[in-house]
Amino acid sequence: MSYLKRRKIINILALTISTLCAALGLILLFIILFDVLKEGMESLSFSIFTKDPAPPGREGGLRCAFLGQGLITLIAALVGVPIGVLGGTFLAEYGKDMKLTKFLGRLSDMAMSVPSIVIGAFVYAVLVLPLGGFNGWAGAAALAIIILPIIVRTTADMMSLVPAALREAAFALGASYHKVIVSVVWRSAMSGILTGILLALARVAGETAPLLFTSFNSNHFQLNLNQAVPSLTVSIYQYAASPYESWVKLAWAAAFVITVLVLFLNILGRVVVRLRTKN
Amino acid sequence: MAEQKSPPEDILNVNNLSFYYGKNLALNQVTLPIRKNRITSLIGPSGCGKTTLLRCFNRMHDLYPNNRYEGEILMNSHNILEKNVDIIALRSSLGMVFQKPTPFPMSVFDNIAYGLKLKNIRNQNTLKEKVEKALRQAALWDEVKDRLKENATGLSGGQQQRLSIARTLAVEPMVMLFDECTSALDPISTQKIEDLIVDLKEEMTIVAVTHNMQQAARISDYTALMYIGKLVEYDETDNIFTRPKNKMTEEYVSGRFG
Repeated sequence: MSYLKRRKIINILALTISTLCAALGLILLFIILFDVLKEGMESLSFSIFTKDPAPPGREGGLRCAFLGQGLITLIAALVGVPIGVLGGTFLAEYGKDMKLTKFLGRLSDMAMSVPSIVIGAFVYAVLVLPLGGFNGWAGAAALAIIILPIIVRTTADMMSLVPAALREAAFALGASYHKVIVSVVWRSAMSGILTGILLALARVAGETAPLLFTSFNSNHFQLNLNQAVPSLTVSIYQYAASPYESWVKLAWAAAFVITVLVLFLNILGRVVVRLRTKN
Repeated sequence: MAEQKSPPEDILNVNNLSFYYGKNLALNQVTLPIRKNRITSLIGPSGCGKTTLLRCFNRMHDLYPNNRYEGEILMNSHNILEKNVDIIALRSSLGMVFQKPTPFPMSVFDNIAYGLKLKNIRNQNTLKEKVEKALRQAALWDEVKDRLKENATGLSGGQQQRLSIARTLAVEPMVMLFDECTSALDPISTQKIEDLIVDLKEEMTIVAVTHNMQQAARISDYTALMYIGKLVEYDETDNIFTRPKNKMTEEYVSGRFG
C-alpha cells in the first residue's frame, strides 16, 4: 500500500511541476504577444505598407522594407528549398545504407543549432568583404544557409515515415528508384515536407542577425540585390533603438505585422497537414 | 486434382536456393517447381522462410544491402538470380501483392494506371480500357466505377487490397506472388480475394504465402511446407493435407506444432 501511495504522490508531483513549467513558458509567450499586440495595434496605420521611410517626425512607412525582406526570403527559399529537399531525399533514400549518411545527417543537425549571427558573420566574410559591400545576395545566402538544415531534416524524417511496403509495392510494379521517390514517397510525405518548408520560412522571416552583416538595410526604395536591400527586421532593430517617438511606434507596428505574418505561416503549415490527412 | 492427367509444365524452377540476410542463413538449399497456371501455396510457422522465398522470385531482396542468393531460380531456362538480369523487366512479369494494402496516395484510376504508365502506355483510351479490365478482374469495378477520381486511401481495407491486386494485374504479369494478402482482412473480403485468386489461375501462375492452412487447402493445387529455412515437403495440396509423407508435415497440418 505504501508503495502505491508513494507512486501516487510522485505522479501528482510530476504532474504539478510539468504543468507549472508549461504555464511559465506560455505566460512569458503571452506577455510578449500581448505587448506586441497592444503597442503594435496602437501604432499601426495603413501607411506602413504604402509609404517609404521618412525622417523622424514625418509620417513614413516601411513599404520598401516589406518588399526587400520578402524578396530576400523568396530568393533564400528558391535556393534553400530545392537543395534542402534533395539533400533530405539523399539522407532518407539513396544514402540510407551508407556510412557517410549518418555523418552528414549529424552535421546538418548541428548546422541547425549554429547561432544565426555566426552564419551572418560567415557570409560577411565570403560574400560581403570580397564583393566590396553589403548586398542582397549575401542576405539571401545567409537565410538559405539557415533554412537548409531544417528542410533537410524534416524532409528526411518525413520520407523515412513512409512505410517500406509502399515503396516495395512500387518497386514490385517495375518502377525505377527515382520514379518511386517522385511519384510515391514524395507524394506520401508531401504534407510533412511542405510543413517543414513553411516552418523554416517562418523561422527566417523574423531573423535580424544574419541580415545585419549581409544585406543590412536601406531607407530607400531599392531592390537591386547588388546593394544593401531594405529589411524589415533590421529596420525594427534600428527604429526601436532610436530616440524618436515616431520611429519607435513604427517599429512596434512592424513587429506586430511580422508576428502576424509568422503566425500565419505557422497556421498555414498546420492547415496543409490537415487538408492532406483528411483526403 | 485427380483429373489432371499429365503434370503441367513448370514456369519457375527453384534449384538448391540458399539465401542470406547478411550472415544469417534464411533459406537452406530449397528446391521446388512452380507449375504453370496452378496455385502453389507456401506454408509454415513464422520465420520459416516462406516470405523470404517469395521475395526471391521478384528479387525484392535487392532493395536492401548485404543480401545474398546462392543457387538458382530458372525461368525459361534462365537463372533470374544472375547479376545482369534486368530487374525492372523481371518485376513487371512477376507481380506482387503484399500483406497490408498499399494504395499509393493518388486517385483510384492513377493507382491502377501506375504500372501501365511505367510501361510507357500513355494513350488515354488504352489506359481506360486496361484500368477497367483490371478492376473487373479484381471484382472491384462495381464498387469504384463512380469513384475513379477519388483518392484511393479513402477506400475500405478490403477494397484497398483488391485495388492493390488490380494494380498488379493491370500490367498482365505471368506470375502473381501473394504475401499473406488476406491476413489483415475480414472473412468476407478474404472470401472475395480467394475467389479472385482461383479465377486468376486461368490466365497466370500464382504463388501464395499464407499463415492460414485452411486457406492453403481451399485454394491451392500444390503446397510446400517450410521450416527453419528448409523445404519439408512439397506435393499436391490434397496429398499434403490427407496423406503427408513427412511426419513433420502431418503434425503441422493437424495443428500439433507451429
